[in-house]
Amino acid sequence: MILGRVIGEVWATRRDTRLQRAKLLVIRPHAIYEPAFATRHLVATDDVDAGVGDDVIVCLGAPARASAGSNDMPVDAAVLGVVDRIDLQPDAMTAPGAAPGIKRAFDGIRAARGEPASSARRAPSREGSGTL
Amino acid sequence: MIRGTVIGQVWATRKARGLDGQTLLLVAARDAEGRATGRLVVASDTLDARAGEDVTVAFGSGARNVLRPGPDNRDLLCDAAIAAIVEGAG
Repeated sequence: MILGRVIGEVWATRRDTRLQRAKLLVIRPHAIYEPAFATRHLVATDDVDAGVGDDVIVCLGAPARASAGSNDMPVDAAVLGVVDRIDLQPDAMTAPGAAPGIKRAFDGIRAARGEPASSARRAPSREGSGTL
Repeated sequence: MIRGTVIGQVWATRKARGLDGQTLLLVAARDAEGRATGRLVVASDTLDARAGEDVTVAFGSGARNVLRPGPDNRDLLCDAAIAAIVEGAG
């Protein structure tokens, strides 16, 4: 799964019949993720009622078809949950062989969440509509 | 599968069905030489891995098999799961 932020919603009247009731969100991945993919934004189905500005966990690939409870959904990305909090282990940054990759990852998460470098906590917010 | 180190935990109250109580950990991937690549993955955890521990992460359908073995696990929304906690590697 990857972490990202909801930056918008997609409206589509003509769509696959299996997607009729699916809510589609535009998500910007905001960490350094695995497996890698080439786009800066992706569209994912949403079963958990996430909103613009929420940080979310996104499931990718074939397992995302489980979204909406059916394995024949034409879906390859689904919102799995809305992030309340991320606890980061400060020791991981100083462990032997950890830098610079993990530090980059930490900085990436914090920058994306608008947090100061000293705090891993996130104040609840639904700020702004984001920019595409 | 990849190797990585648990560097944190992601808390989410609102989750998709069937994932209640599921622990989600942040894992930093490592390359063959053990260096962190900078990539992060959120993985489901059933093995009670702790921060700082080295783990292997299974992706895709393999991840669902970690959570629930068998052909009837296709309703699980999970593309990465911790498959093993690494104690040593040659």
